[in-house]
Amino acid sequence: MPIQLTSQAYCKMLLHAAKYPHCAVNGLLVAEKTKEKKKDSHSEPVLCVDCVPLFHGTLALAPMLEVALTLIDTWCKENNYVIAGYYQANERTKDSRPNQVAEKVAARICENFSEAAIVMVDNSRLTISCFEPIVVIYHHHENKWKNREVTLESFEDWSEAQKITSALLEGRSYENLIDFDNHLDDLRNDWTNPVINKSVLDLC
Amino acid sequence: MASVSEMYDVGWEEMRDKLRKWREDNCRNSEQIVDVGEELISEHASKLGDDIWIIYEQVMIAALDCSRDDLALTCLQELRKQFPDSHRVKRLSGMRLEALERKRKISILKAQGKSAEAIRELNEYLEQFVGDQEAWHELSELYINEHDYGKAAFCLEELMMTNPHNHLYCEQYAEVKYTQGGLENLELSRKYFAQALRLNNRNMRALFGLYMSASHIAASPKVSAKVKKDNMKYAAWAATQINKAYKLAGRGNKENKCSMKAVEEMLESMQITMS
Repeated sequence: MPIQLTSQAYCKMLLHAAKYPHCAVNGLLVAEKTKEKKKDSHSEPVLCVDCVPLFHGTLALAPMLEVALTLIDTWCKENNYVIAGYYQANERTKDSRPNQVAEKVAARICENFSEAAIVMVDNSRLTISCFEPIVVIYHHHENKWKNREVTLESFEDWSEAQKITSALLEGRSYENLIDFDNHLDDLRNDWTNPVINKSVLDLC
Repeated sequence: MASVSEMYDVGWEEMRDKLRKWREDNCRNSEQIVDVGEELISEHASKLGDDIWIIYEQVMIAALDCSRDDLALTCLQELRKQFPDSHRVKRLSGMRLEALERKRKISILKAQGKSAEAIRELNEYLEQFVGDQEAWHELSELYINEHDYGKAAFCLEELMMTNPHNHLYCEQYAEVKYTQGGLENLELSRKYFAQALRLNNRNMRALFGLYMSASHIAASPKVSAKVKKDNMKYAAWAATQINKAYKLAGRGNKENKCSMKAVEEMLESMQITMS
């Protein structure tokens, strides 16, 4: 089952990467919880409506990751979401494949959501104009993570996503993006990013 | 921040004598030399007479050791002005350039993704510049990214030894131990999260870390009833503090309530799995 990204999800991932250009960053993708799965719905894409930026810098330590996963899972349940994927942008820009951390987190997510995807953001192609999508999407298939071709179908509305992301990058909205690390530094920082969400909505 | 003379109630003569003793004993306590020397130079230079030149040299070498290039350069410039053709001063200049060059090389290796080489170079650099905290910290991060938690812990141990009051090093050490896993490491991690909290009771990572490590220990089938009970107490205490912290943060901000509620529920659900 392929995933699809909304403009909000795509743009917040890129804002996170743009805020910390010299660090690795990661986060979770969330989708709306659907009720019963129709019999032939295996080809219907999973729409990732939002993302929650997690950490920047060292991604390979367990305790805060556990806290974040548990907390965000609880938040998801309250909002009828489910954690459906994981994104990561690596520090070394030429390195675009999922590493051990990505696979471990994705495995955890898969326990709850079998169709979880890994989205790797290619830092080296991050530009303000965003004229092409810079994500590589991986799905778990036969015990391996294989990448799928990213097409316009991978987005709910690519031209909208491109327009909004470009506008927010140019306006340096990434300076106000909050990730879970920022939240741990100061609890008043809201990792749901209501301010940025509103900006996205205004631009739609 | 209080000056050395204020903290230890010493006059400039004692500071000068201390520096001389460290010179004679060939001590490598670079941090202390930098603290004492910097104050002596900036506030009592005129009283030092000809001693000042050897003090500049001593402080310069210690400053390099501690990644204080600003201070090293100041000392070097004074020495150059006074001894323009000196071979000894040229050697010091070379030392500084070498330190900078090696650090630049390491940065380049990191940017190229050559972690193994960066680690090797950084280890060699640290054999010479043992007091460079920035470098120790960089090395710990490189090891963490390579999942070599044992060596990362060693670097953080060095940092904790020279900076016992730094709550961040304590907390990072605890995170590394937690990640290594196993009951012994979990107990160590809990102890160090607690220590970080003693040093700074607003460190949320330490608070969450204490909660998580104590909860996991309590839930382990391998612990005695007493250990289980103790850890449940620690976890319960931490949970209360976490809730308090969120309440404080959420005051006057309606939107933040979602965070608070999620935390409350998370803590409740974990209590259930623990008992």
